[in-house]
Amino acid sequence: MIELQSVCKSFGQVRAVDDISFATREGEIFGLLGPNGAGKSTTIKMIMNILDPDSGSILFNGSPIREADKDRIGYLPEERGLYRKVKINEMLHYLASLKNADRSAVEKRLDEWLARFNLAEWKTRTPETLSKGMAQKVQFIASILHDPEFLFLDEPFSGLDPVSTDVLREAVLELGSRGTTILFSTHNMEVAEKICSRLLVIDHGREVISGSLADIKSRYGHNIVAVEFDGTIDFGSLSGMVRNVSRFPRWVEMELVEGANPQTLLRVLLGQVSIRRFEVVSPSLHRIFVELVGDGGKTGSERLSG
Amino acid sequence: MGKLAKIIRMEFRLTVANRVFIVLTILGPFLIAAVTLLPGLLSTSGGAMGSPATKIALLGADPRFVQEISPAFKQSKIEVSAVQGSAESLDSQVQAGAYDGYLVMPDDISDVTRLQYVSKNAADFRVMGVLQGVIGKAIVAQRLVKAGISLSQVASLTQSPAFETRQLTKSGEKKKNSDFITIFMTGLTLAMLLYMTVLLYGQVIARSVLTEKTNKTVEIMLSSVRAMDLLFGKILGKALASLLQYGIWVAISAAVLKLVGPRLGVSVNVGLSVSMLAYLVLFFILAFFLYCSLYAALGAASEDEQHLGQLAWPVVIFLVIPVVMISPIITTPQAPVIIGLSLFPLTAPIVMFLRILVGAALPWEILVSIGLIIATTAAVIWLSAKIFRVGILMTGKRFRFSEVMRLARSR
Repeated sequence: MIELQSVCKSFGQVRAVDDISFATREGEIFGLLGPNGAGKSTTIKMIMNILDPDSGSILFNGSPIREADKDRIGYLPEERGLYRKVKINEMLHYLASLKNADRSAVEKRLDEWLARFNLAEWKTRTPETLSKGMAQKVQFIASILHDPEFLFLDEPFSGLDPVSTDVLREAVLELGSRGTTILFSTHNMEVAEKICSRLLVIDHGREVISGSLADIKSRYGHNIVAVEFDGTIDFGSLSGMVRNVSRFPRWVEMELVEGANPQTLLRVLLGQVSIRRFEVVSPSLHRIFVELVGDGGKTGSERLSG
Repeated sequence: MGKLAKIIRMEFRLTVANRVFIVLTILGPFLIAAVTLLPGLLSTSGGAMGSPATKIALLGADPRFVQEISPAFKQSKIEVSAVQGSAESLDSQVQAGAYDGYLVMPDDISDVTRLQYVSKNAADFRVMGVLQGVIGKAIVAQRLVKAGISLSQVASLTQSPAFETRQLTKSGEKKKNSDFITIFMTGLTLAMLLYMTVLLYGQVIARSVLTEKTNKTVEIMLSSVRAMDLLFGKILGKALASLLQYGIWVAISAAVLKLVGPRLGVSVNVGLSVSMLAYLVLFFILAFFLYCSLYAALGAASEDEQHLGQLAWPVVIFLVIPVVMISPIITTPQAPVIIGLSLFPLTAPIVMFLRILVGAALPWEILVSIGLIIATTAAVIWLSAKIFRVGILMTGKRFRFSEVMRLARSR
């Protein structure tokens, strides 16, 4: 289990991480979400003991991370790099050996994963010939070859084509189902929505929301109603039921206020216009995210109350 | 196998498998041999290079006199012949290449105070040296004979004594000592060896540490190993590779010099005792690791190759200082400044070695100097590990020493 307690980190005047606390549960896929520059990478680097926090503590199974614990962790840094002159299989073996992994087991996994990512023919070539996306897949393989209990992935999906994104997402889900605790950062909400069991959204180094996906959706997301119609709606009659109305001539999108019943809304509308389509959608994580962090200046709590 | 050993192995392999490394390893000895042998070949005797003998005409000389002195010229591949005629005709003969030069001899050579040598190549100091020696001696001998001293006495009377120095050791024994030139050359050898190595491998190590940052591999490495292990591994791996290369070079060079040297008339003389050779190797290795760790620190502190170049040049100064000071070190090894330099880690390897060579270093001084070099090396590696960790954050920002010190204190 990884546990962060009130972790802070500043670079000069900039507070990169401001009082972040969370704990991952064993075997879960935990998402660290936030816009660019929110402090995600800094947080992961502090967990990896590459950076030291200014204050707060980071516990690995209850105690500060030790050198030996690193062998049980896989890490895909945001900045990807490979030795340019070393063949891919040699590099992968080298990195796995630095985790004290068993060589024959690594060899077997190496072939499996290279095949899975369509990289088998690149095994004995040097990374100079790899495309950026391929290098990223190789690095992902490097982070899991020693079969780690914990896996930290910093923006694993950035720069991947749709096919590779799917393969990687499947791989992450599979590792998660096998009991690997996975912490990953992303600003790609669609992927996060598909694979995270719990998540933490940060912005300007501070926590905006945290919890399980369903929990966050019910707490902070507001149900959206989309209506396609013929006629004229008297929006005055809808006050108290909806807000944030986006009006178009034959189409409208509104947010239901808390406690409002979509059935009541439908009945009111039926009295005014003829309905072509009426749809209640639960908000995507994307919408919640944009709503929470999109306006920049405000802090999370201000946004939530306002 | 520990993680450090794995890093060392990888770095060693990376270095040794490099094409430039292999080419240098093979060609190195031939370059060294060429550099060592060529000057000797060129200056000692032109004949060894296969050039024809130098022909010199002695204008107006007594043929008997010429016959007497010509054997002394043979050795240096100079042919002298007595010629009668005018200077003008000889001028044209020299121009035409029949003679390389001519010396105007007076009728009575025992009275002569000045001789004129004419040639196209007036700066040929080798020929001038031989002429001065042989003809000068012959003239002095003639004067002595004229003064009534028998020819057989002349040789013994004009022989200057040979000098040899003996060093009084602590046990009171008078040991035969190497002369100034030998010590000077040995010190210079160590200095040049270090200078070359530092330029070659210091840069290699600095660049290797730097590319760990620019290649973005550093975070992956640090997620598995300590920064210290990574730096130590890099330094040791590259150092072992370079020592291997040196071993090969020395072995091949020695073989080449031994086999080919005598045939070309160049003798290789290692004027060093076993203990001095041991000191040479010891101080070379100590200095090598000290400078390697310094370069590793510079690599960690710089952000790109250009910046590395700017940071690296002052280091070389510490190698140049002892080289410029070789003479004063040998002649006044007990001067406070020189004792200081022999203890200051960056100059200690060369300066202390020279002081040991001339027998001026006390045992405790040697020990302190070695201890300081080792301690400094360890401290520099520790500091580089710190700089390395700071360096990760400093993308696009220049390295500030104050920042490193703050971090160094923090943990």
